[in-house]
Amino acid sequence: MRTLILAALLAYAGPLAGQAQRTPDSGSKIVALENVWNQAAQAKDLKALNALLDDAFIYVGPDGKMLTKAEVLADVQASYGIQVSSEDMVVHFHGDTAVITGIYRTRGVDHGKPFVRLDRFVDTWHYQNGGWKSIASLATPLGP
Amino acid sequence: MNMELSIWRQCDRKQVIMRMAPLCLLFVFATSLSPAQAAPEGGAASAIRALEHEWAEGQSSRDNRALDLIFDNALVYVEYGRLVTKGDYLSRIKVAEPSASQIVMEVTTVRMFGDTAITVGTYYEKGISGNKAHPKRWRFVDTWVFKRGRWILVAAAAAPLTNS
Repeated sequence: MRTLILAALLAYAGPLAGQAQRTPDSGSKIVALENVWNQAAQAKDLKALNALLDDAFIYVGPDGKMLTKAEVLADVQASYGIQVSSEDMVVHFHGDTAVITGIYRTRGVDHGKPFVRLDRFVDTWHYQNGGWKSIASLATPLGP
Repeated sequence: MNMELSIWRQCDRKQVIMRMAPLCLLFVFATSLSPAQAAPEGGAASAIRALEHEWAEGQSSRDNRALDLIFDNALVYVEYGRLVTKGDYLSRIKVAEPSASQIVMEVTTVRMFGDTAITVGTYYEKGISGNKAHPKRWRFVDTWVFKRGRWILVAAAAAPLTNS
């Protein structure tokens, strides 16, 4: 069921991502893709994630560890009970590239104890072959 | 107060580089090739690496004019988890004071995506408080875009390496 919902979201995001040039609602397109990404991660929808991430995608987490796309997918598959949402997202367009910043709010349970953590993220999206793909993502502990 | 944290709140990666130069501290820049999925490196990758150096040199000399050319006006810079504008960044460089911090750039990889490039690397920093050094390593991701005939930095951020 979750996969179906995500597929519908991706279908929605696809046409939205159909224009590389900046338009008044371009920002909402990238924001929609970010939300799809979060939901795909939570639902462990690897097919959806595969569609969102470029094959050369790299991720740097709040601990500084770098992951390839394959490692991210494996990490998602192994995750348990993590909820992620994004807040305060702002998008900047540079031709066929978009940079989005925001705050990740992650909720989960670690060794039996519930936790909530906030991280600042910077994601870079690139328009290619008729759609947007994330090519890089970095999250770092939220500063003061 | 955590002195190391205090140091990091007062200065950033590039500022640290700036402060290093007058102190003749070590600066190492290593390179490696991008993975097969991204376009192979060429002249553009070399140009971007050169710009990373210019970025550091521009700050070492507090050359805001040079930095203005390197940074996009909509630069997104995240330092210590805070979002900083180009204006904020340049203003702080103007008033930056010498510091006893040391940084060593370790590895930088350039991945090309048409007119966009992603640089990923690590650097090692020693914040000095009193007579004690507080080492810390960071991993950074920078985004460069080819605009109006040149490469411009549009985003930069770093995360602390906690297991180093």
